[in-house]
Amino acid sequence: MFLDNIMVLFVKALFLTVMAPLVAGLIKKCKAILQNRRGPGVFQLYFDIAKWLSKDSVISPTTSWIFKVAPFIYFACAVGAAGLSPLILFTGITVWPADLFMVLYLFVLSRFSLALASLDAGSAFGGMGGSREMYIAALVEPALLLTMLTVAFKAHSTNIMDMTVSVAGGAGGLSVIFAAAAFFIILLAETGRIPVDNPDTHLELTMVHEGMILEYSGRRLGLIVWASAIKQLVLIVIFSTLFLPWTPAIGGGASQIAWFVGKILLTAGGLALSETLANKMRLFKVPGFLAVAGLLALLAIVAGVD
Amino acid sequence: MEFSLLYGLMLLLFATGLLITPFLGEKLKVANVFAHGIAILGSLAAVLCASFVFVNGAQAMKLPFQLTYMAFSVRVDTLSAYFLGIIGLVAAAASMYAIAYGKEYFKQRFILMAELYLAFILSMLLVVTVNHVFMFLVVWEVMSVTSFLLVGQENSQASTKAAYLYLVMTHVGTAFIMTAFLLLANSSGSMEFTALRVLGANEWTRNIVFLCSFIGFGMKAGIIPLHVWLPKAHPAAPTHVSALMSGVMLKTAIYGMARFYLEFLGIGPAWWGGMILLFAAISAVLGVLYAVVEHDIKSLLAYSSVENIGLILLGVGAGMVFMSSGLPVLAGLAWAAAFFHVFNHAVFKALLFFGAGAVVHATHTRDMEHHGGLIKVMPYTSVFFLIGSAAIAALPPFNGFVSEWLLFQSLFALPMALGGIGGKLVGAILISLLGLTGALAAACFVKAYGIMFLAKSRSALTEKAVEVPGLMLVPMGFMALLCLVLGVTAPKIMVLLHQVLVAFFPEGAIDGFASPQWFILGTAAQASGGLSLPVLGLVFVAGIIMAIIFYLYKGAGKTHVGETWTCGIIPNARMEYTATGFSGPIRRAFGKILRPRTMTVINANTSPYSGRRIVYEVHISHVVDELVYQPLNRYIVRLSQFMKEIQTGSVQLYIGYIMAVTVAVLIWSTRW
Repeated sequence: MFLDNIMVLFVKALFLTVMAPLVAGLIKKCKAILQNRRGPGVFQLYFDIAKWLSKDSVISPTTSWIFKVAPFIYFACAVGAAGLSPLILFTGITVWPADLFMVLYLFVLSRFSLALASLDAGSAFGGMGGSREMYIAALVEPALLLTMLTVAFKAHSTNIMDMTVSVAGGAGGLSVIFAAAAFFIILLAETGRIPVDNPDTHLELTMVHEGMILEYSGRRLGLIVWASAIKQLVLIVIFSTLFLPWTPAIGGGASQIAWFVGKILLTAGGLALSETLANKMRLFKVPGFLAVAGLLALLAIVAGVD
Repeated sequence: MEFSLLYGLMLLLFATGLLITPFLGEKLKVANVFAHGIAILGSLAAVLCASFVFVNGAQAMKLPFQLTYMAFSVRVDTLSAYFLGIIGLVAAAASMYAIAYGKEYFKQRFILMAELYLAFILSMLLVVTVNHVFMFLVVWEVMSVTSFLLVGQENSQASTKAAYLYLVMTHVGTAFIMTAFLLLANSSGSMEFTALRVLGANEWTRNIVFLCSFIGFGMKAGIIPLHVWLPKAHPAAPTHVSALMSGVMLKTAIYGMARFYLEFLGIGPAWWGGMILLFAAISAVLGVLYAVVEHDIKSLLAYSSVENIGLILLGVGAGMVFMSSGLPVLAGLAWAAAFFHVFNHAVFKALLFFGAGAVVHATHTRDMEHHGGLIKVMPYTSVFFLIGSAAIAALPPFNGFVSEWLLFQSLFALPMALGGIGGKLVGAILISLLGLTGALAAACFVKAYGIMFLAKSRSALTEKAVEVPGLMLVPMGFMALLCLVLGVTAPKIMVLLHQVLVAFFPEGAIDGFASPQWFILGTAAQASGGLSLPVLGLVFVAGIIMAIIFYLYKGAGKTHVGETWTCGIIPNARMEYTATGFSGPIRRAFGKILRPRTMTVINANTSPYSGRRIVYEVHISHVVDELVYQPLNRYIVRLSQFMKEIQTGSVQLYIGYIMAVTVAVLIWSTRW
């Protein structure tokens, strides 16, 4: 029984790791189409990662072992979160040692390690990126927890499997709509997208995530980019499973797979659309934006009281 | 083996140290090793006492010497033993650290410091074990006074001021504690802890006892708004004392609260717990906010202690709310979370203070803006400090994560106690505040570690830094190891906590966490699953292996050395981010609370084209000071102005007062 669980963890981790660059590529392609560009092919990120993973690194003499180790921890956290993420395709498992806070704190660990690495090279860009990342994280965290609680309170558990089961097949009420809107805002912030961050920029004054990893090159850069894609996919999976609960039931049948893939694509399209429509926001306007998410989540909790 | 023998050994060791150290007057090196060596042995004896109780059950004894009103009776139940063990463990590490660190104080009344240090540890050990009200108050007072003198050790203007502030505040606190105890003793007719109960007393007495004990112990614990002394006093003391003050002295207040709320007062109304939750949340959030914007490393750690006390009290408050709602199972969980965090905070805060002390020892400055690049010259210290930072930022797999998880779980169950929309909202808001605290703590320690240890050195002071001696590294390494062990073996610690708490709960109520599976930490509130660090470790290691495989897939590759990219300029330390800069966005986002005042001074004599000399300063205004203490101060000054007019010093006038009062009393007494 326990071993089954562990096997499922590994299968999920591997599955999401492999699929992550594809989803990132899809979002990019969608965005390009929406902006009347042709854009790179959906598999481009695989080629990029493969290229980086075969290149030598340039490392600053100012850095220490923290800089060298951080990408591995960042990657491992993303893979770990992927293993613990809610995939409705696997069922029939009762003891499921995957707690919500385990996933959230893996993200905190990944952010902690990368922010330290950003300070290690001693460049102002890195420091700026790290400082802003921690600032945004401090604003996202309460809103993210509130949003997660809308589902956890219904499930009376913070166990991810319990939460998944409790929302699956349920009809969407007002509470679900509020919660989904709230989590979509969090999704934008956590995946480093416009209006909070801009994944395509290398302009000093606007970059956050890109600023942190500016000093990386070669194999380590490949790991970081891949890990970011995995983290993004994990968040999309959480969004589509827990906050878009219009699924027939949990299980691995053909219709479930179709629903699941459909929702992932829908979310990816939504991200591309919102990025096309929105402008980058001033850094000090972000608290208001995330406060909206927090308030929506509170409304969802109030609306969801049974 | 007799318990009294062990306990006696502990007392004897400290007595020997206290009596002999003064006679080693001139031989400072010998005195140093002797006093602190005795402190290590005495503290280890305390740990032995604690383990003895955990194995053989509660112990009680009376020492032969008795005074009127003051029976020296000792009772060590598992609750006392838990705190005794923590104090002993941290004090042993701190004393070892002190052997190397104490050398800095050879020219500053060293013998006195060593004596006070011994008395300080002994008083803390006694506070958690004595069984008599007067005895408790006496050792509590000894603890306060010795720590006051140790805060003033450096004899600088700042430290003296901090020490006096501490002395005043702690005595106000003691007055409240005394009131609480005397009311209790009055209603139960005994001075022995074992007999102190207020079952027969009316609601008013109970409420007053609760409020007095909360204010009194809260003053010592440093909850906001009673914290003002803490961030000034803790950094001013020598580092090994700071570690003890922040790591364990604050916990004696938690011990006091636990005695009152679990044992003496019994189950109270729900507003008791609610009030504690409110102040706990304020302390946690404000404490960490002030920590984030601080750039004096020891002050930063002191503010972070305020935050952690807030976290502990969140557990205490939730536990009390659950008790009043008749949910002992959940109450046990919440108290366990609080007690777990007590242990964890003692360990990692001591570790961080040791690390900060090592950095100060090496660089002779506490200001982070002068540090930088220390990871290269202090490789061991930097690893230990990193582990401490990770633990306090609640990162898995360290101990802070486990206790924070337990806290999350207890707050998550709050709606069950409170019910309805209100309950859900309270639970949700407290959880989100706990999340905010966690994220800010992570930011705070990324800043502390990144600015102190990473990048290039920012001043000449740090360039000459070298690694500290082994005697300072060993305690740090031990504490760092404990951070990991307490995290990974969390289910075992829960068994220990079950032993601590079981006496205070109804039969079988908290047996849920007494027999866990080795790999999973479950809670009664959850239908299935729980926290499993081994599983987390497994997926994490799988991730690391995957990363290494991908990294090595095309061979290890070459690594070229190339300077940090700074747009073509040769990088230097002045381009690095500073601590002030790093916390800038947070300072601005929470500007309504922190109210930063910036001051920029531009030297107009320097050329405007090739770099003007600019001085930039940020000051944080403390809301509590402005809202509470400054008005209070003004009021006291005004009152004394008024008193001055009455108190002219003229004898005739005083006789006149006496006459007037006598006449008034005569009239009053004969009006019937």
